[in-house]
Amino acid sequence: MKETPSELRIHNNMKAGYLTVEGFLGKDDRHFHDIIREDHAVLQKISISAVQLAERMEYFTGKAFEIYDGAIIIDEKFRVEYKSYRGKIICPFAHPGVFRKGEIFFKNLENGIELCWTPLNIHMIAEHGFFEGKGSKHRLDPVILKQALFGNGDL
Amino acid sequence: MIISVINTVLIVAAISGLLALLLVIADLLFANYGEMKITINGKKELVVKGGSSLLGLLNDNKIYLASACGGRGSCGFCKCKVNSGGGPLLPTEKPFLTPQEIEDNIRLSCQIKVKEDIFIEIPENIFNVQKYKAVVTEIKDLTYDIKELTLKLQEPASINFKAGQYVQLESPPYEKSRQSASRAYSISSSPDNQHFIQLIIRLVPAGICTTYIFDYLKSGDEINFTGPFGDFSIRDSQADMLFIAGGSGKAPIKSMVEYLYQHGSKRRMIYMFGARTRKDLYYTELFQDLEKKMVNFTYVPILSQPTEECEWKGKCGYVTPFFPEYIRDPQNTEAYLCGSPGMIAAVIKGLKSNGINEANIFYDSFA
Repeated sequence: MKETPSELRIHNNMKAGYLTVEGFLGKDDRHFHDIIREDHAVLQKISISAVQLAERMEYFTGKAFEIYDGAIIIDEKFRVEYKSYRGKIICPFAHPGVFRKGEIFFKNLENGIELCWTPLNIHMIAEHGFFEGKGSKHRLDPVILKQALFGNGDL
Repeated sequence: MIISVINTVLIVAAISGLLALLLVIADLLFANYGEMKITINGKKELVVKGGSSLLGLLNDNKIYLASACGGRGSCGFCKCKVNSGGGPLLPTEKPFLTPQEIEDNIRLSCQIKVKEDIFIEIPENIFNVQKYKAVVTEIKDLTYDIKELTLKLQEPASINFKAGQYVQLESPPYEKSRQSASRAYSISSSPDNQHFIQLIIRLVPAGICTTYIFDYLKSGDEINFTGPFGDFSIRDSQADMLFIAGGSGKAPIKSMVEYLYQHGSKRRMIYMFGARTRKDLYYTELFQDLEKKMVNFTYVPILSQPTEECEWKGKCGYVTPFFPEYIRDPQNTEAYLCGSPGMIAAVIKGLKSNGINEANIFYDSFA
């Protein structure tokens, strides 16, 4: 597939060694358009939108951010911890704006699902419907993400 | 039908790409903006060949505004005030500017193409910023994820900076990164030592620059940096000083305390360092030694999650509950903070509720 200069720039930004050592595509050899399209189809199947998921992630992230050192238990069933790193990172979609470097460690205490995301993940999901490629460190499978954030029985 | 649509999209995309490329080539070959003047702070004039970015032209004249993205318009660091001649504000700049900054004519210098005489304002201390070549003389593990880097300056061979300022270290392209990257790190050594600087660097998982420093950089290697930047520095007063840091936030505070010691400061100083467990503590002996040398200096390490293995007999919890114990006169206290944005926000709230005036709270957030 021939890419426009803008798509090429985005694609390069997503590769390992451009914005981060590991990149955003993992071992996934699909084009980022295909990753977004296929995850969008999954979202439709499980009746939730990318924005709804991102808003829930933002809710937990905000709560954990206030407790700057250590974990917080939210609503008696979610354990969330925010680990800050120095600096900011840009969005690989060349979206103007910078995002804090950090990792949010999340555990749903009811169904045991554990996830790790970054502030950039929230933006990419909300604005671009991009959950990263399979095998990427911060890939968030939409089905698991929904189960983790909203609870939907055990895995 | 689908193939036909895809073909049409591809053809349109290819034509658009080709036209964009032709425009860039034409601009490079035929656009001649002639000589332009950049007037800085109403007193310094640079005569430049127009058509390039303001950031690039300033760099060509050895005036270095902070920039972490190499002028791609993605970090938002290279701000300056443009009084006239910068053209209209671009959509690529808006996300980085507050409404107040837009009203004050603050712009991103990397996004401005100089096509006419331009009048700008930059902080005076930017004239002190230079590009440095240095050699790594020592890399020391301070904790499991924090290293101390000692750099001997080569060219120029000395640096003038204020305790609390930072430099932008450049990692070259290497096995895991296809391009160079610049990242900001506070100087942890005292400004009195002008031929060496020390940096305290905490590993950022998958970070391009810190991965280079942790896994590839060796003693004896050359490395480049630009600086000094930043306005986090000691205020000239006799007020009590409360230093609060966490993690690698110890760097600028160490520089400040060492500077104050070397200059025989008699100011009352309390340094509260928040860490999770004992393995996150470092420089403990150094600061305990400074406590012995300076009667007016107290070092207070506080662990938020000490384990049994820590065998910790010191203070436990967050730093904020201990403020009343150490703040003697809130109206005559300056607070200097360095740490994560979450920590800074919580500490500022705690300081204000303990009567410290917000105007006397200075910080360097990991932002």
